[in-house]
Amino acid sequence: MATSNAHATEGGTPPIVAHHFNNLRQQQSSVRFGMWLFLVTEVLFFAGVICAYTCYRILYPIEFEAASTALNPLIAGINSFLLLTSSFTMSLAIRAAYNGNQPGLKMWLAVTILLGTAFLGFKAREYYVDFEEGLIPSAKTAIVSDHDSHSVLDAHKTLSLFGQKLEHVLKEKKYYKEHPEKLKEVDFDRARLFFVFYYSMTGLHVVHMIVGIGLLVWQLVLANLGFFRPQERYVYVEVLGLYWHFVEVVWIFLLPLLYMAGHHHADHLHL
Amino acid sequence: MSAQKPTVFEHEHAGPPSVAASTTIFLALAGLTAMALLVGFLELGALKVWVSLAIALVQAAVVGVFSMDLKQSDKLTWLVVAASIFWTFLLFLFTLTDFLTRHYFAF
Repeated sequence: MATSNAHATEGGTPPIVAHHFNNLRQQQSSVRFGMWLFLVTEVLFFAGVICAYTCYRILYPIEFEAASTALNPLIAGINSFLLLTSSFTMSLAIRAAYNGNQPGLKMWLAVTILLGTAFLGFKAREYYVDFEEGLIPSAKTAIVSDHDSHSVLDAHKTLSLFGQKLEHVLKEKKYYKEHPEKLKEVDFDRARLFFVFYYSMTGLHVVHMIVGIGLLVWQLVLANLGFFRPQERYVYVEVLGLYWHFVEVVWIFLLPLLYMAGHHHADHLHL
Repeated sequence: MSAQKPTVFEHEHAGPPSVAASTTIFLALAGLTAMALLVGFLELGALKVWVSLAIALVQAAVVGVFSMDLKQSDKLTWLVVAASIFWTFLLFLFTLTDFLTRHYFAF
């Protein structure tokens, strides 16, 4: 890898080292550092919502565990491995760019895009199933019969439509079939809060995935145009890799906080 | 330019992780992910969230240090990462001490 000054313009193409840097090494380190500074803002961005989640998880542990049980652990597991593998292929793309292996760079970028898109596909499937089951935290309410009430006056109670749907979903889960008394402890209106966090946290993660895939497509186009032929430019693939790995780190925390907080069983594994 | 004093950004960089290193990192993370999923299916009570978060922290550390190549980053990058962890700690500390102690004074 050349580390000499390369400020000169060659054949009309922009110089590899911009005029305000002393040398290539300084420029590459600055590019990396810029991405790290951006990632710090992202850490605090996600930490805010995770902190709010933590408050309510501590206040309403039974409701959060019950609501998490309604999520799909199989799709979460598949997506975890898809994202992990995409991080691996991203590392291979960076190494290929560093080695000047242009076909390898294009191939690993394309595989990373494919794996990221597959993640989004499974995510869309998961949201669709949640929608079908009525697990949308709306404020709509309905009056339902209260079979446990001993008084005629209290024979009906008002429940959110979401609460009724969630109760229906949880009654089918093995844990609550074996422990029906546990279901009675759940305040279904409070469980709505979990789904607010579920949609906002996974939604923000999905937005980051879409941005990442967009940037990967852009770099694939650049690779096809020969932008990365001077090996010194591998650092731009590397900083996109930093972003992609960060998106993986966010998912690493979403998995236990949202999906694995509930009472799951092998019977719950379905697409 | 050579007359200028080297800055913090001009230290040696050995390049991104090799294919063998990336494969090892991937296998380690796959093992930890399998462990995280397995813990999700166990009934560990209140301990479950702590075990899950401990695994997640190890995973995040592996991704940060090896995949994101912090291990050969300069001191300034380490300082930035440490600052982000510190500010996150402060965010949690002040929010939780306020939010979770309010009911003690509600009379």
